[in-house]
Amino acid sequence: MRHIIAMLLQNEAGALARVAGMFSARGYNIESLTVAATHDPEISRLTMVTIGDDNVIAQIIKQSRKSIDVIEIADLTSRSHLESELLVVKVAATESGAAAIARFTELNYGVILDETGNTRTLQFTGRGSHIGAVLTELAAMTTILELARSGTAALERGESVLAPADLTTLPY
Amino acid sequence: MNAMLQEQTQAAPVAGDHPLAGRPMSGAEIVVQVLADEGVDVVFGYSGGAILPVYDAVFRFNREHLAEDGSEPLPLIVPANEQGAGFMAQGYARASGKVGVALVTSGPGATNTVTPVRDAMADSVPIVVICGQVPTAAIGTDAFQEAPISSIMGSCAKHVFLVTDSSQLEATMRTAFEVARTGRPGPVVVDIPKDIQNASLRFNGKGQLPIPGYRSRLRAVAQARLGDRECTDFLDALGRAERPLLYVGGGVIAAEASRALRAFAEAFGIPVTTTLMGIGASDTTEALSLHMLGMHGTAFANYAVVDCDFLISVGARFDDRVAGVPKLFAQRAKYIAQFDIDPAEIDKVKRVDWHHLGDISLALDRLREKAASIGFDPRGQGRFAGWHAHIADLKKTHALDFDRSSALIQPYAVIEEINRLTRGEAIICTGVGQHQMWAAQYFDFTAPRRWLTSGSMGTMGFGLPAAIGAQFARRDLMVIDIDGDASIRMNIGELETVTTYELPVKVVVLNNCGDGMVRQWQKLFFKGRFSATDKSLHRKDFIKAAEADGFQYAVRLDRSEDLQRVIAEFIAFEGPAFLEVMIDPDACVYPMVGPGMSYAQMITGDHITSRDQVKSAETGPAEMF
Repeated sequence: MRHIIAMLLQNEAGALARVAGMFSARGYNIESLTVAATHDPEISRLTMVTIGDDNVIAQIIKQSRKSIDVIEIADLTSRSHLESELLVVKVAATESGAAAIARFTELNYGVILDETGNTRTLQFTGRGSHIGAVLTELAAMTTILELARSGTAALERGESVLAPADLTTLPY
Repeated sequence: MNAMLQEQTQAAPVAGDHPLAGRPMSGAEIVVQVLADEGVDVVFGYSGGAILPVYDAVFRFNREHLAEDGSEPLPLIVPANEQGAGFMAQGYARASGKVGVALVTSGPGATNTVTPVRDAMADSVPIVVICGQVPTAAIGTDAFQEAPISSIMGSCAKHVFLVTDSSQLEATMRTAFEVARTGRPGPVVVDIPKDIQNASLRFNGKGQLPIPGYRSRLRAVAQARLGDRECTDFLDALGRAERPLLYVGGGVIAAEASRALRAFAEAFGIPVTTTLMGIGASDTTEALSLHMLGMHGTAFANYAVVDCDFLISVGARFDDRVAGVPKLFAQRAKYIAQFDIDPAEIDKVKRVDWHHLGDISLALDRLREKAASIGFDPRGQGRFAGWHAHIADLKKTHALDFDRSSALIQPYAVIEEINRLTRGEAIICTGVGQHQMWAAQYFDFTAPRRWLTSGSMGTMGFGLPAAIGAQFARRDLMVIDIDGDASIRMNIGELETVTTYELPVKVVVLNNCGDGMVRQWQKLFFKGRFSATDKSLHRKDFIKAAEADGFQYAVRLDRSEDLQRVIAEFIAFEGPAFLEVMIDPDACVYPMVGPGMSYAQMITGDHITSRDQVKSAETGPAEMF
């Protein structure tokens, strides 16, 4: 089944490759991967979406937790969590179609980032399923020229926080 | 981090600091100083362009710190091949429990250590491999002798550091030793570009890298204690059991928990069987010791596993050579308990009813104390008397044995005879294959760290370099490499290393003219088609080879009647000694639990009594490994 795994990593060369390697070494494809520094520049947060056998994924997580670079790791799949993704897409815009694209973008809480005589570059955010639906509709409406998706970013709902062990006490 | 380290670098030394704190040093000198500070007393390695500054710094360090007897504090031991250096570092580490160090150059020097690094990871052996790397600016340009060591080693080491910021070099070196020896031990690789070795720095004398995740997990395991509830649950289960069995792995050796284990087994009267890696954790000569279990374990150990109703795993991991079919392994055990230091080992292969993550000695001692405090004494109450009688009967009825009337020299007889003279006191190293299993089966071991073998990786060629490293760690013990004719070929260049350093290592080659273990599988599972495993037409003269490498004692034993006399003179010879024994080429390793089979399907050969009717394994599953 689909798993969403969140990891705090030491922001170091090679750290990302090593944890990604844990999955690829078992032949598991990574569906999406987002990683960036957190509010602590020494720490990166990584969100990985992968599909695989629950027991095998659980074992990979245990093995990953042993990695020197890994500060914390959690499988968010079974917990109530939020997922968000960014889509930037460039579509063809004819004179007659431009208005429809603008209306569609507004309706889907998107933003027009750039426009030329023949193209529009749009930005959408939301759950992966929402982004998927947006793309399907856009494809029906006009020609998609190119796109970039960020992959899923995820946080657990509620007050629970994924943080280094000695920082888990909430500030209030 | 960099800012913090630099700040420390510039701070004036205060009382309690390292005596050399604040002194200007090159990166290479810092590497050597940290080695000395970490207690390293021998370095195994091969020089080359990208590591020259460190070799030069070792040379100068040794010249400046000569002992009164003229000996060097950091002798450099040069192998024939860097793989040898890696296994020497392993042999040193396995025999002593200290971190072994290998020092190699970039590119081929570093890639030649990949096998010993992976081998050390698989057997949880603490080594630090320091590799030279091309200068920082040249990395990624396909420079001469460049290899992507951080990527390659990242997949097989416990950790790899690529030092690209010279201010982090000292802290990185110290952290490498910390990571290698703490938690579940393992190999750490430090890749140091040449410009970092040449950088002008200032020595701090302290400081490590922040590795907060690793340290907090380490702390959690170090601080874990068995609670009253856990103790009660465990002792309740033991109280209900009639046939408890300790299943002990290499974790007990790594944790130096042999004392606690023996006291625990003794106090409760629980028989002990060990894995290949756990050999020596208990004294194999004791009545309740069942020696090794598993694919080539003793029949009586494997029967005890089948019969036990409470299995206690200590530092073992239900490996496929032990639990080939996990659901059938110890099938009658109503309760399984597991002690380990590694959370990833719990429930990995087999679900357990009770587990404890933490220091093994503390946990076992705590259970003993708790039992004493509540007057729980199953041994004293004779609770397991029937089980003990059963164990004694199993050991007698299903003892290891072989064809004692054969005219051909039997490998088992060779090991029995050596064992009669060394009596479990020698350090035994091996290659991989039949000779390894015969040595595991027929030698006695009274203490831990006397049995050095490549267990998980199964690396042929391990024995000779490991013996060299072990001899440096234990000058006081006899070190014997029991090798095969195929295994020793893999690192035969190290014969010369033995004589170069005048090490009194004893090398035994059990020659069956081929890859005996592979032949055994071909016999069982491939209808006797001996593809590429027969070496009877190979022309190597091992005696000439040993003599050419400077062995004063190099003897071939090929007549049964000479066995006792020759082995006695071989063992008595002072200095490097080489013995080739022409053994029965058809000798097999029994018992054998075929791959993917249960203990009930164990075949025991013609000379060990089986208690089950087992069909020949002729049609064994060829896809199993």
